[in-house]
Amino acid sequence: MMIETAELTKTYNGRGGCRGITLQVQEGSIFGLLGPNGAGKSTFVKMLAGLHRPDSGRATVLGQPLGRPEARRKLGYLPELFRFQDWLTPAEVLRFHGQLGGLRPQETRSPAFRARVRDTLDLVGLSEAADRRVGGFSKGMQQRLGLAAALLLEPELVILDEPASALDPVGRYEIRSLLKQLRKRGVTVFLNTHLLEDVEELCDAAAFLYGGELLAAGPLHELLGGTGGVSWRFRLGGWLPESWEELASATGGTQAPLLHLAEADDQGNALLTARVTDREQAGYLCSLFIRSGLTLYESGPEPNSLEAWFLRMAESRKGGVRQ
Amino acid sequence: MTMYISATFKELTRKRVFLVTFILTVVFMVLFALGVRELTGVIGMNTVSAAERMLNGMVLMVLGLFFAQLLSAFFVLFSTMGTITGEQESGLLLAVAARSLPRWRLYLAKWLGHAVWITVYNAVLFLSLVWIVYSLAGLPLLPGDILRGLGLFLWMPLLLLSLTMLGSVYLPMLGNGICSALLYGFALFCGLVEGISVYGGVNPAVEKFMLVTGLLLPTDSVYRRSLYELAGGADWAGLAISDVGPFSIANVPSNAFLLYTAGYAALLLLLGCRAFSRKDL
Repeated sequence: MMIETAELTKTYNGRGGCRGITLQVQEGSIFGLLGPNGAGKSTFVKMLAGLHRPDSGRATVLGQPLGRPEARRKLGYLPELFRFQDWLTPAEVLRFHGQLGGLRPQETRSPAFRARVRDTLDLVGLSEAADRRVGGFSKGMQQRLGLAAALLLEPELVILDEPASALDPVGRYEIRSLLKQLRKRGVTVFLNTHLLEDVEELCDAAAFLYGGELLAAGPLHELLGGTGGVSWRFRLGGWLPESWEELASATGGTQAPLLHLAEADDQGNALLTARVTDREQAGYLCSLFIRSGLTLYESGPEPNSLEAWFLRMAESRKGGVRQ
Repeated sequence: MTMYISATFKELTRKRVFLVTFILTVVFMVLFALGVRELTGVIGMNTVSAAERMLNGMVLMVLGLFFAQLLSAFFVLFSTMGTITGEQESGLLLAVAARSLPRWRLYLAKWLGHAVWITVYNAVLFLSLVWIVYSLAGLPLLPGDILRGLGLFLWMPLLLLSLTMLGSVYLPMLGNGICSALLYGFALFCGLVEGISVYGGVNPAVEKFMLVTGLLLPTDSVYRRSLYELAGGADWAGLAISDVGPFSIANVPSNAFLLYTAGYAALLLLLGCRAFSRKDL
């Protein structure tokens, strides 16, 4: 395991923070940490990065107890609210971080390291701004530089705290592509983000924090459905109160359990959702609706199924229901 | 450990701290040189005895170095009062402290980065002043005395730096600046009161207060020992700086006290490293 925590707790005078967090992050995976504001995500991430000392519990990062220099040498970290020295250029910032990461001054002046700096700036799209002072950078450019600093020393584990929060859509797309590249290279990524589409597209596993407590953790497909598959939606017309029974009898009762009536109005419009294993199964359901005399207006994978899950989790906790 | 030497230099030059400090220091030096020239004319250095010339020159030297230590203290306070909490509040420390460098080494590296450039500035300041008084007022000075005086003059801001950096682990930037400036002001004030005491003694309670302040921040005591050494130590200083008003040296800080200041600085650095290592960022 790249990260393993057991009952990890950190509070601020008994309030806030996070309590009793137990989770594992597998090597080579992308792990997403989710939760609403104030859930304790940043506290947890800062403990992993060695910036906060836990009150209790145990944790290992890269097989080492929290905060050990041996582990931090192989760790790249992008903080959420950070700033670099305004008066330096990106290349100077990276050289400085190279020295902080254990390289000798002469090593950071070597052609190999200079090439590494150039490549890293190129990777995050900052090669054209390499000689400009950081003070003139936009928030998005600073975020790219933060990412460059995190990736500079070729870490085995990268902890990213809201890496795309200040980026435009193009920047977000580039970051997603970059994270996919990292996974291909075997780098483990721990992603704390509010961008659910990033988690849905990138993450192999995720955890949900609420009010400082861990409500759910595991492989993403299990969290979203438990049995795997994709959530599919069908917008129908001509829906009548008895349509549900007709569908059940038309399939001999075999498909009906897959379906869920999400919305229906007295105009005959209805929204059905189903968890399907593949496109063929969704196609079969489409033909079934048409054969039953219903009008199929729209069919496709349900957008933001993670968002629905996120809201369900948050709502269940608000209502006092523990998972 | 040395990475902050060049980083601090870049910060001081690119934020124009050095430029502004250099210009204002040159202005101070020019005004001081003009003042020394004027005063030596008024006093009539060429018509008095060698002893009187030395005393008058020493008065000018004491005045110049008194203001130089103020400049030096302001330089230290303003450039270092936000070293830890200031950088924490701005987010500068987050990516830095997550690196593999142990926190205690990071703290010492920051101290070293500031210490090197504070030392360079103070050395230039001290030597320029001494040269002005030596060349314009004809004050006889020996290289050994200058070196001892310089060493102690350089030690003074490093003590203040150690205190300010420790404060910056616990206090917000502004609070730390005010706290360090007040402590420095107390120490300075006590030194002036002690200077006046040579004319009529001093209340025992005030004496105790001065002792405690001197122990809390021994910058003024080190400054006075620096003057004493510059004036020739035991050979000349008793005569030279015993009658310069509030700048007089009533009690010369002992070698044991200097040893105390070394322990004081080491303890502050140790406490700073320990506190920074345990601090949640």
